[in-house]
Amino acid sequence: MTSLKSKLDHYIKNKIMHIPDGFISPPVAVMTTVISAGVLTLSFSKMGKDVKAPVIALTTAFIFAAQMINFPVAGGTSGHLLGATLAVVILGDPWVATISISTVLLIQALLFADGGITALGANIFNMGIVGVWVSWLLVTTIQRLLGGAKKRLPLAAGITAAISTVSAAVSCSLLLIISGTAPLNLVLPAMTGTHILIGVGEGLITGSVLRYLLATNPDLLPDDESKLDKWLVPVIGTLLVAGVLSLLASSWPDGLEKVAENLGFIHLAENVRVEVPTPFADYQISGINEQIGTSISGVLGTLICFGLAFFMTKFISRKSA
Amino acid sequence: MLKLSLFLRLRLSLILVISTALIKTNNWSFLFIYILIALCWCIFLKTPIKILLKLLGAELILLSLMALPLGGEKAGFLMVRSLICLLIMNSFLLSVPKYHLSIALKGLPLPKKMQEIVILTGEYLEILLLEIQHMEISAKLRSLNGNSNWLRYISAAMIGSLYLRSLDRAQRVYDAMVIRGYNGTFPLEIDNNKSENFMLIILSIMVMSLTFSSYKIWIN
Repeated sequence: MTSLKSKLDHYIKNKIMHIPDGFISPPVAVMTTVISAGVLTLSFSKMGKDVKAPVIALTTAFIFAAQMINFPVAGGTSGHLLGATLAVVILGDPWVATISISTVLLIQALLFADGGITALGANIFNMGIVGVWVSWLLVTTIQRLLGGAKKRLPLAAGITAAISTVSAAVSCSLLLIISGTAPLNLVLPAMTGTHILIGVGEGLITGSVLRYLLATNPDLLPDDESKLDKWLVPVIGTLLVAGVLSLLASSWPDGLEKVAENLGFIHLAENVRVEVPTPFADYQISGINEQIGTSISGVLGTLICFGLAFFMTKFISRKSA
Repeated sequence: MLKLSLFLRLRLSLILVISTALIKTNNWSFLFIYILIALCWCIFLKTPIKILLKLLGAELILLSLMALPLGGEKAGFLMVRSLICLLIMNSFLLSVPKYHLSIALKGLPLPKKMQEIVILTGEYLEILLLEIQHMEISAKLRSLNGNSNWLRYISAAMIGSLYLRSLDRAQRVYDAMVIRGYNGTFPLEIDNNKSENFMLIILSIMVMSLTFSSYKIWIN
């Protein structure tokens, strides 16, 4: 279908998240194939009747072709568009987007030997289901969070694309861990770390492409969304900062710790007479990767703070009334 | 010499890949049997060896990046097993003329709607990949290269205009299809050769039995 050069290019550019044959265990392969087949069947039944096969095929071919255009990441490696968020936005329907991304993966596996045949179910699960549905859940929410106007869609889609890329990578890591292919402490930091960088690129490209389409042919994009209720804006915003931006938090010590280290009294922090067990010490959860632990403890901490503040305010306002 | 149809070759390749991928981890003796089967398959299909080796070389680098951090025998096994799968699939892909690949997709055991989308995507893909080549040539002619070459690739305008051009091209292709009688379903002519189907079933049972026995021997 393409020349050897383009095939080689595609090989090199597409290897970031495509699980090859033999890397997942038979039970995981069967389980993900069953789930993916189920979701695809459901997608075909839920797909709007006015959506024609040529339209899906064109968008699928476009996503595939757009993946051929790469961008530099770091250290001499390059990334490319994964396209889940872009597919959700331009197709306007997560069911159709699932079909589209799954078809891209099927063609990559069959015609380009890119991504395993036995891992096809797993690859569809990671990118066609997790990637697409995280995108769909977030893009409208973030657009509404930003005011709901159509002109905010590129920014919302950009942020969503970055998050969905990392989500798909985390899902991919989990499948490799469940398969017993790689240990959690090895695969999760490696996949998350790389895909945070790729996610930034994905976000920039998705946002910029949609900005271009908004400027040249705005009718192709969905209309304005209604604004979020006022009280939801800080809640969702805070959860996004605590759960997502915390993945990028620096692991270096804070100012006091650094001074304590330099002046040699950091050990005094360990001379505690009565040790109180805390479940999220140092914003970590034992047994879970550092970044993911920070993210989970960030979300839980935010919810606890919100709950406490909410009930205290209720209590005080009732007393003063 | 035995001549197999395109559909049978695709289906056999898929079955061999699945059987190889499911071999019990660290069962080297069975993996060795599949290495021999894959090599026989490659010779039978008369795959161009030079191109195949280039592709497998590129693949080996990427597989080693994924597997080597796991260390030791496990990484070696995973890499070899994946390489055999790639050897089988690439042997098929490289032995088929490019315009036959779309036809081969018709032989896939997929639901009709999915099959239609896959075939249409294959058709559109060729048009779009040509479009990308044209855009890259245009960019070079406009001197968009040199040190800031990467800016061309990151250009959102390039991807955005690719989409707009694709829409235009796809509309024309779709109109042409409608004029030629397309009414929502793609004409699919799958050759149902009984002797080939029988051969496929027998070979599938043989290779799958081989794979399952890798688990039994491992337990003993």
